[in-house]
Amino acid sequence: MPGETAAKSEPRLTIQSRLEDLALIWPWAESIAEEHVLPPATRFAIHLCLEEALSNIIRHGYRGQPGRPVTIQWAAGPGELVFTVEDEAPKFDPLAISPEEPTSAPSPADQLPLGGQGIRLMRKFAGSLAYQRLSAGNRLTMTFPIQP
Amino acid sequence: MQISTEELADGVTRIALDGRLDIAGAAAVDLKMNVIAGSAQKLLIDLEKVTFLGSMGLRSIVLPARAVRSRGGKVVLFAPGEMVESVLKTSGIDSMLPIHHDLAAALAALQ
Repeated sequence: MPGETAAKSEPRLTIQSRLEDLALIWPWAESIAEEHVLPPATRFAIHLCLEEALSNIIRHGYRGQPGRPVTIQWAAGPGELVFTVEDEAPKFDPLAISPEEPTSAPSPADQLPLGGQGIRLMRKFAGSLAYQRLSAGNRLTMTFPIQP
Repeated sequence: MQISTEELADGVTRIALDGRLDIAGAAAVDLKMNVIAGSAQKLLIDLEKVTFLGSMGLRSIVLPARAVRSRGGKVVLFAPGEMVESVLKTSGIDSMLPIHHDLAAALAALQ
């Protein structure tokens, strides 16, 4: 089984609040995917939700301020992988944002909403999302179903 | 993230994207996408080799497409993979930019 020879991935990764640091997430998430022999669709969903969550924290939670920490942890639960993203930003609940709804009819070019796409994608591609305010930061928990 | 362009028959400009259209990928192609969109009237955005698409990548597609359409031009999205297409449909972008998997149909939609 390919997963048996994959190196154990680190359970926790801390990055600084720079969009460039998002590049560190990809190999870390890939190592987790290899360890669990995840199908391509699940890998894609994890990469997507991590990028959207971290991008929101850096751009909105920390308001572009560099040098602030964002910590991601993962754990395997029954039939799922659980990713927890924590920061030290002011209260910011991405789940409280109501993404603009695209119109069902073909839209004029300037009416396609770009705001809130990240949260819309996270709601679609994660198995579940949960937000918790910490004493000095925010915690977002995302789960992804996996084959046992 | 690689980007290449090609002029096809009937005034169609084909932009081919290759790689991950994540935040870094979007930043790598934004300028060239907008330069190309500045003059194209019939734009085919080939997504066949795009392996990842996030919300910043969506912006890299939508903003140049808006520029083309604002001048009365047309834009189609060509051959996205299954997961990339799911992102496009979840975002609603396909309501503005039709998705085609057949090249002949994509080119016909630009006429």
